[in-house]
Amino acid sequence: MVNRLLAAVLLAALPWIARAQDQGFTNRSTELKASGAADSATLATLPENTPVKVLARGGGWTRVEAGGKSGWVRVFHLRFPAAVESSSSSGGGLASLGSALGFGHRNEQARLATTGIRGLSTEDVKNANPDPAQLARMQSFRADRPAAERFAREAKLVEARIEVPSDSGKEGSR
Amino acid sequence: MRSARFFALACVAGLAAASAQAIDFGSIINKAIDTGRQLNEASHEFTPEEEVALGDGLAAGFLGAAPLRKDPALQRYVNRVGKWLAMHSERPDLPWTFGVVDTETVNAFAMPGGTVLVTYGLVKRLSSEAELAGALAHEIAHVVKKHQLQAIQSDKSSEAWANLGKGLASDAIARRGSDPVGLKNWGASAGVELLKNGVFLRPLDRSMEYEADKLGVVIAARSGYDPYGLVAVLEMLAQTKSDGSGLSVLDTHPAPADRLAELESFMPLVERGAARPQQVQARFRKIVGP
Repeated sequence: MVNRLLAAVLLAALPWIARAQDQGFTNRSTELKASGAADSATLATLPENTPVKVLARGGGWTRVEAGGKSGWVRVFHLRFPAAVESSSSSGGGLASLGSALGFGHRNEQARLATTGIRGLSTEDVKNANPDPAQLARMQSFRADRPAAERFAREAKLVEARIEVPSDSGKEGSR
Repeated sequence: MRSARFFALACVAGLAAASAQAIDFGSIINKAIDTGRQLNEASHEFTPEEEVALGDGLAAGFLGAAPLRKDPALQRYVNRVGKWLAMHSERPDLPWTFGVVDTETVNAFAMPGGTVLVTYGLVKRLSSEAELAGALAHEIAHVVKKHQLQAIQSDKSSEAWANLGKGLASDAIARRGSDPVGLKNWGASAGVELLKNGVFLRPLDRSMEYEADKLGVVIAARSGYDPYGLVAVLEMLAQTKSDGSGLSVLDTHPAPADRLAELESFMPLVERGAARPQQVQARFRKIVGP
């Protein structure tokens, strides 16, 4: 009980992120909760494949709007389908589709970028000439321990002692 | 020790055989030595210095194809997040180096020895430092677990391995005369070789990716970040498409939905230990942009 209360307090302390107004679906029947805690009031039961609009994220819960109600759903009870891809490289059609679905501006832009601009290919890397000057430049930006510690304090990052849970025991042996 | 015993055994066997049938004793010894050498190369334990030299060689090659993004504030920022995370890994003392490369392709790459390259295409799709930490910690976990080295070594059939082994042997000789230049040169040529023949660009085993996801969320949580940062990144990736480059995270990793499914039962175990998990959105926005 104390643990649950503590979890609720900690979750409440998280600044909820309203990134992408992503459009997702429930991947199983799940409860829409009044807050991001398992013991909070259940507002509704959402059947599998219910469309939801993401309002905020943080911790193991996602704040969504579903069927005119807003509330909290467990992160892993949602799925997100791949973005619709346009066959043309011009972004006009996709952009308007994005707005119609209510996607966040930033996300929409990021998605469009993949349709027009060619990225780094396997061949590019295979055929590249090594660039030791770039390597040296990159290494000039290294942070030392004191710099990293200052940086962490600025954001109030609190260290925690956590052992790797035994679940991760699947060693990557080949 | 084992190879010495093996050698001795071979000699005894050779003696026994020779007494009976007059076999060429010298060839048996040579065969035993050859087998011993092959075994040693296949299980060669890279020293940290060798790892770093190889990683530098790989990174220099990679940067030749995708240069650093010309944004010193961003480069310094990513190094601070990365170093803080790496300090909470099982290998805090490697010369951890992080770089944002200027390409639209969405991915991140870990080199042996502690160099991590992340594409600008990935960084600009993130929305908080916790998400960046999720991506970087996944790469740090690959370095900690030496996944890339294992992949390179498991490719024994390739010419690359033969060259690498040869290089290591000659390097070992060079270093007996304490020659760090020899090591550096070996790393540079081995790095280029592993990029050119595509060994390094091959996807890792799925089991390694899942392991890196899990150890990554632990490292992020130890560092004070919301461990669900990686989960948010995977949700974002689930909605993106490969750019067809062959190097997109969607080409080189298991499907985001599969990775999320692997994390579902694991996350509560990590969450329990998290102290005051932070998203750190404002600082991220200030550096990366709105």
